[in-house]
Amino acid sequence: MKNPAREKFLPQLSPYVDGELSPEERQQVEQHLQNNKDSAAQVADFRAADALMRHAIDLQADEVDWKKFADDVMAKVSPEELPFFERVKITLSEMYLYQRGPLVAGFVGAAVAIAITVPLLISFNGTPEGYANSKVAVQQVTVEEAAEIRPVVMETDQGDAIIWTIDAKEPARPTLGPTETDGGGAGPKKKQSSEENEEELTPKEKEGPL
Amino acid sequence: MRSLLVAALLASSALFAAEPVVPVQVEVVQASLKSGLVPESLKKMQTALSARIKYGSMKVQSTTQLKLSKGSQTVELPDKSQAVLSLQGLKDGVATVQVQVPPASATYTLAKDKSLYFQAGVHDGDDVWLVLSQPK
Repeated sequence: MKNPAREKFLPQLSPYVDGELSPEERQQVEQHLQNNKDSAAQVADFRAADALMRHAIDLQADEVDWKKFADDVMAKVSPEELPFFERVKITLSEMYLYQRGPLVAGFVGAAVAIAITVPLLISFNGTPEGYANSKVAVQQVTVEEAAEIRPVVMETDQGDAIIWTIDAKEPARPTLGPTETDGGGAGPKKKQSSEENEEELTPKEKEGPL
Repeated sequence: MRSLLVAALLASSALFAAEPVVPVQVEVVQASLKSGLVPESLKKMQTALSARIKYGSMKVQSTTQLKLSKGSQTVELPDKSQAVLSLQGLKDGVATVQVQVPPASATYTLAKDKSLYFQAGVHDGDDVWLVLSQPK
């Protein structure tokens, strides 16, 4: 003999076990289960079958080696990594395509930053450009033909250099200080080179016509 | 936009290809045999010159910081004449500079923390010197 209540609640028994009913439906099903042993037995069967299935799945999961699972998944998900320059090229081309303004601004900013930073760094390290030598070297000294002076070049032990302009009539000094070269009188243009100053004299000084 | 990018790159490369600029400090010093004051900053110069002459007093008349590149630059001397400086070249980080104080002219290479003392005539009975050195 058919039970109309059981017929009504029969489709809801499985969703009830799976927790898919609303609170009101759940309450109604529970009232029905209290009054209908067949439905209660069926629910018990559903629960038993569910528990059995979960246990079987757990057993299967324990048998699987999960160590390489993440690597295997990632290997299927991630494409092979491109070479560095290829990635940079793609990144730049994408930026140029989609973010041209910021890219250009970035290049301009970097150029300006370098143009400002490099001279600053050069000036901050204490040695501006042109001062790589450790001592001053006088390469040439000339005097106009009509001038009544003659140049005397002297290099000091500290690496400085001195250029005196003395009276052309002043006699050559028998002894002088650090490395010195005397123009030797007025007349045609005179030249003096530092090479001549490198003679081993102590104190380093030379005097006499070039 | 592409042309803007190219222009920016050219501008940045042009900055690096720019002609060299060498800073030089020029001090005009008046030195006298009369005893007096010698500033601490000129003691080294006084000592260097003492091999030939012993100045009793020295005074810095002017200090000028020049940036030498193409062309020449001038520094005024006490007698209203001018010293003319020009960069002759820059090789391996060593700058060659020409300094003209008529009737004399000298070409020399700069050195780190070193000075060239160039006698630049007489003014009011005192010797006038140019001190060419690395800017302080």
